[in-house]
Amino acid sequence: MGLYENLRNEPVKTLALRKPVTAGPEDTIRQAVERMRAQRLGCVIVVDSDQKPVGMFTESMLTQLLTSNPKVVDEPVSKHMAEHWPWVRATDPIHDVLDGLHLKNVRFLCVVDENDRLIGLTGQKGLMEYVAEHFPGQVMVQRIGGTSVGDKREGA
Amino acid sequence: MSDKPQPEEEFQDPLANYDPKKYADRLEQALSEETVATVEHVPYEVIAPETTVADAVKKLAGLHIACLLVEKDGDLLGVFSDRDVLKKVALEYDQVASKPVSEVMTDDPIYVYETDSAAAALAVMVVAGYRHVPVLNVRNKLIGIVSPQRVTSFLQKYA
Repeated sequence: MGLYENLRNEPVKTLALRKPVTAGPEDTIRQAVERMRAQRLGCVIVVDSDQKPVGMFTESMLTQLLTSNPKVVDEPVSKHMAEHWPWVRATDPIHDVLDGLHLKNVRFLCVVDENDRLIGLTGQKGLMEYVAEHFPGQVMVQRIGGTSVGDKREGA
Repeated sequence: MSDKPQPEEEFQDPLANYDPKKYADRLEQALSEETVATVEHVPYEVIAPETTVADAVKKLAGLHIACLLVEKDGDLLGVFSDRDVLKKVALEYDQVASKPVSEVMTDDPIYVYETDSAAAALAVMVVAGYRHVPVLNVRNKLIGIVSPQRVTSFLQKYA
């Protein structure tokens, strides 16, 4: 079966989902940034006391905020988070991830179960890893990193 | 020397036994046969290495983009992205705002040539983990950038 069929038949839960970084509404942006740095992830999910997601804060939002007020990092993350964020269900076809990223122009999608509970994150990287795993003969054999041929050539 | 006409040799097609590679689907074919040049890689934004960090952050935010290429005379020196802001600037803003961006950029970035296969750009993202991949021409001059969003659009076209 080719990727075309797989994208439409395989569910989102077969992707390698990332464990979300979470923060409480009263946590500061500084605390959220420290967690994002530690987990090397570009977004944090803000959850309430029942661990229910109530918002998302991303590194691109951070860049926007810094230009107007560098002290913003000491404000609560809930003051600046996005209260609506794109999501997919774990049982949706993977093609929905591709559509979501492309049409909504976002990097991350929350993955929720049948009870709308957050179970992971996926996004551009997860989708590219899926394609790479599907076509190792094309992607995983590539030379990584450009080197100038002219500079390195040896011999006559 | 004989004047006798030589019998014509029967033409033999040198590619008669050539078996072209068969692909499972058109995305596999595109990854192999399309070049980086066919993946959207322009427009792109550049800054000089002596630009201050504060100005670089303002440019990122003002243009609503995730990455700036740091270059001098068309030569790629580094990449400054919102990930660099997260990792090196956000919590240290007062200390780094007036420093040159070259001090906080990601230097020695992994790049691809416009003539590389589209799969090469994907490999840099998946294997090396860099989200933004500068594109150079054969003269080693900067001509663009491939982002995850642009790769997603490329995949969307064939998937």
